[in-house]
Amino acid sequence: MSEREHRWTMVIDLDRCTGCQACVVACSVENNIPVVGEDEVRMGRAMHWIRIERYWEGEYPNVRARFIPVICQQCERAPCEPVCPVFATYHSEVEHVNIQVYNRCIGTRYCANNCPYIARVFNWFDPQFPEPLNEQLNPDVTVRRRGIMEKCTFCIQRIRRAEEMAEAERRPLGDGDVQPACVQSCPAEALVFGDVADPNSRVAKLVRSRRAFRLLEELGTEPNVIYLKGGEAHVG
Amino acid sequence: MASKVTRRQFLKISGAGLLLLSGCTANLQRPVWMEPYVRAPEETLPGEDFWFASTCRMCPAGCGILVRVSNGRARKIEGNPAHPLNQGRLCARGQAGLQLLYHPDRLRHVLKRTGERGQGRWGRTTWEQIVEELAQQIQGMAPERIAFLTGLLPDYQATLVARFLKGLGAPPAVVYDTQAAFDGRVVLEAASQALFDVPVLPIFDIARADVVYAFGSNFLETWLSPVVYNRAYGRMRSQPGVRGMLIAFAPRLSMTAANADRWVPVPPGTEGLVALALGKIIVDEGWDKSNAELRGFYEGVDVGAVAQATGVPAEELVQFARRFAEAHHPVAMPGDLLAGSTNGLEATQAVEALNLVLGHLGEHGAIFLTPSPPSRDLRKVPVSPFQAVRELVDRMAAGEVDALFVLGANPVYELPAALGFTDALKNVQLVVTFASMMDETAALSDIVLPAHTYLETWGYEFVSPSTDRLIVSAQQPVVRPLYDTRDPGDVLLALADKLGGKVARRLPWPNLVHFIQTRLTSLQLLEGNIAAQDAKTFWAYWLQHGGWWSKEQAWQVPEPSQNLSAKRLLVPSPEFDGEASQYPLHLLPVPSVTFGDGRHAGLPWLQETPDPMTTATWDTWVELNPATAERLGVKHDEIVKVTSPFGEIEAVVYVFPGIHPDVVAVPVGQGHSAMGRWAEGRGANVLRILAPRTVPSTGQLAWAATRVRVTKTGRRRVLPRLESNIGVDRARERGVVPG
Repeated sequence: MSEREHRWTMVIDLDRCTGCQACVVACSVENNIPVVGEDEVRMGRAMHWIRIERYWEGEYPNVRARFIPVICQQCERAPCEPVCPVFATYHSEVEHVNIQVYNRCIGTRYCANNCPYIARVFNWFDPQFPEPLNEQLNPDVTVRRRGIMEKCTFCIQRIRRAEEMAEAERRPLGDGDVQPACVQSCPAEALVFGDVADPNSRVAKLVRSRRAFRLLEELGTEPNVIYLKGGEAHVG
Repeated sequence: MASKVTRRQFLKISGAGLLLLSGCTANLQRPVWMEPYVRAPEETLPGEDFWFASTCRMCPAGCGILVRVSNGRARKIEGNPAHPLNQGRLCARGQAGLQLLYHPDRLRHVLKRTGERGQGRWGRTTWEQIVEELAQQIQGMAPERIAFLTGLLPDYQATLVARFLKGLGAPPAVVYDTQAAFDGRVVLEAASQALFDVPVLPIFDIARADVVYAFGSNFLETWLSPVVYNRAYGRMRSQPGVRGMLIAFAPRLSMTAANADRWVPVPPGTEGLVALALGKIIVDEGWDKSNAELRGFYEGVDVGAVAQATGVPAEELVQFARRFAEAHHPVAMPGDLLAGSTNGLEATQAVEALNLVLGHLGEHGAIFLTPSPPSRDLRKVPVSPFQAVRELVDRMAAGEVDALFVLGANPVYELPAALGFTDALKNVQLVVTFASMMDETAALSDIVLPAHTYLETWGYEFVSPSTDRLIVSAQQPVVRPLYDTRDPGDVLLALADKLGGKVARRLPWPNLVHFIQTRLTSLQLLEGNIAAQDAKTFWAYWLQHGGWWSKEQAWQVPEPSQNLSAKRLLVPSPEFDGEASQYPLHLLPVPSVTFGDGRHAGLPWLQETPDPMTTATWDTWVELNPATAERLGVKHDEIVKVTSPFGEIEAVVYVFPGIHPDVVAVPVGQGHSAMGRWAEGRGANVLRILAPRTVPSTGQLAWAATRVRVTKTGRRRVLPRLESNIGVDRARERGVVPG
């Protein structure tokens, strides 16, 4: 197994994101995310690993709405990590991804309280997949039980699979070989994923954009999710 | 599976192709098989994924998909990167298709009513018996008293239905569903006919346009081919050296309008007037150098009057017109909301005419037209206007229909209640519904024929509207059928066989696969993505690649009609049902990015997906302008009654800053009384209270032409939404749970 260091990064181009929700469903399908139902959503317990926040700006008639997809920012200095008493959440030095180990998690929810991006979701109940809905489950991803914290993994199963394929074919991992489910589905091609450690990758070029910024940058969490500012244009 | 070509044979065929390519057939004396004696079920190798190319049927667009199948189960649907329509991308609905297949409330057997209609008492029977019985019943009926009502079916089904009815001597099927009405397909086709002499759907090359004006359009949400337009939108924003600009004219800040650089709110039904004024200014200021003969278009247009009617100041109209005229590649696109107005055809023409006057036709970033199918065999069955449904309902009510077959549509849910479909149904002796779930129409039927989902069956689709290619998309089963279901096409073939005579001659194929193969023979000779010497190899490649598409650009460059020079564009004032004094607000039903016209409300993934603008899930809401809400004295989460002259619904208020004060918007999709555990008894169905008003020029349903009043009920229900409501432990802070 090649232990070349990867620095997996997602670039989210807000000028392209239309808010269409394709990523939200794609993520749910890929990662066996449970549907919690009306009452639980009302209590803020929807379990999507990616959500599109919508912000109003201005008042009628000069009103705008902006969309920002938010996922786990895979921080280099993640506030969720040091508070976990059982090391269920830790930083992978190889992939630079923030890992959640489900069978270590004891459900203290400290990590979620400490996450400034509100990226973590908690299984308040066992997930329900009435038969034959269980057939839809992705065999590569664990189904989490009650009392477990979870969050976006950058589709770690897809990273691993792509690495294994490259290894088997004795070739280096190419740019674009790894595509998390959200990136793959994004109809407007607003999401781009890749390895910034590879200077020729698309993300490495995009993160150098003048439009690049990070969410809550001032907190010093050093996220590996980079946003590109939405463009402005004025008429008349 | 009804096919004569099994997977194993398919693999052999592909293998033979490879051998030929590698040129070693000459040395091969006899085949050598390396296979274990214990054979695993076909297509399963534990732990190994199989990927099948097919076509998405969650909406009529026809995107190419790849389905990941492991251990005989479909696990994930992804866009097919090779498919020229969606190029590997897929929308929220397309992603959720697995739940159609694995829904626990799917129909599993042929059902025959045992109690009264609608009582929900059913007996089981076999396919053989029901085909026999239906054949007998049909033989005893006068053919003109047999009717088919279908939604926008995949081409293979639509063609089989058409041939079946022709063979019987019965009237052609009424092809209508609410998605088609929202798309405004008949309106767009009529507009193309009027301007370009061909009744086909337009394609807007916004990816390469530098200025896009969208009139009443939700092209990023549900309109015609949303994945294509999302992709094109993304590219429009980052062209080399150019950031394309989008301006939206519409009464509501839809998701599409929210992505615009500028949203210009106008009263409903006046978008066409704006387009007229822009054209008038362009002509008057002399921007239209090459097209002097089209000046008659704008004779008599009064920009000041348009400013008055739309609330857009005249000087702003001038700026919009100049901005459009100055652009290198401007394009103006009409949208769904135009088609919902009584002046839809005229407004659509006025918008498309903007593309004509500046003479950019044929350049990139302009308007193009969907090409004709590559062969007669692939011709599409035309979509019917709402007027055809009205006529069918009238015939049913008058007792002139003995048997009604419903396929791919849910008229009991989706038609305005005032049309009287449900009552008219009582005068029909025999109602047969093909469905994969017990929907509202199936529940009122005599016989329910359980259908395969699109992931269990074969098919083809000539994609329309397409991109710049001709596309014949392939559909194939990715898993074995879960239950004792059949494709409606196969049922018709069996029925035809049983009936014999003319019908059997019209449908001579033993099964769907044979039929589809005959449709494809002409493609084999054309230059495209796949080349094969014989039909079997072509079939194998066609399935493997997910379809056939042309190598060359194939979209049509529109040719202005000869009659245009004498033409004057007139956009009449929109008309609405309901007295303004009693019903002061305009009702805008909004097609949903997750449920479409309501057909996908049964899928839990889509129920829990937030609406992009309100972030609401699982319920129906009423969008009110803050000023309107204040005048009515209502706040977020209060239940209000929305009353039209044709009925009333109750839903939860969402105070929506992006809506014209005279307009209320209600999303389409909820309010089901059937369709499984996740859809039933939730929210309200706004389609029921629409005026069943037909626009005479096109026969289209004017679905945005109903007036309503909104009244308080004093009750409250918290709308389950994401906004201000995220995070594990925040419910207590919000006071949702005591604590």
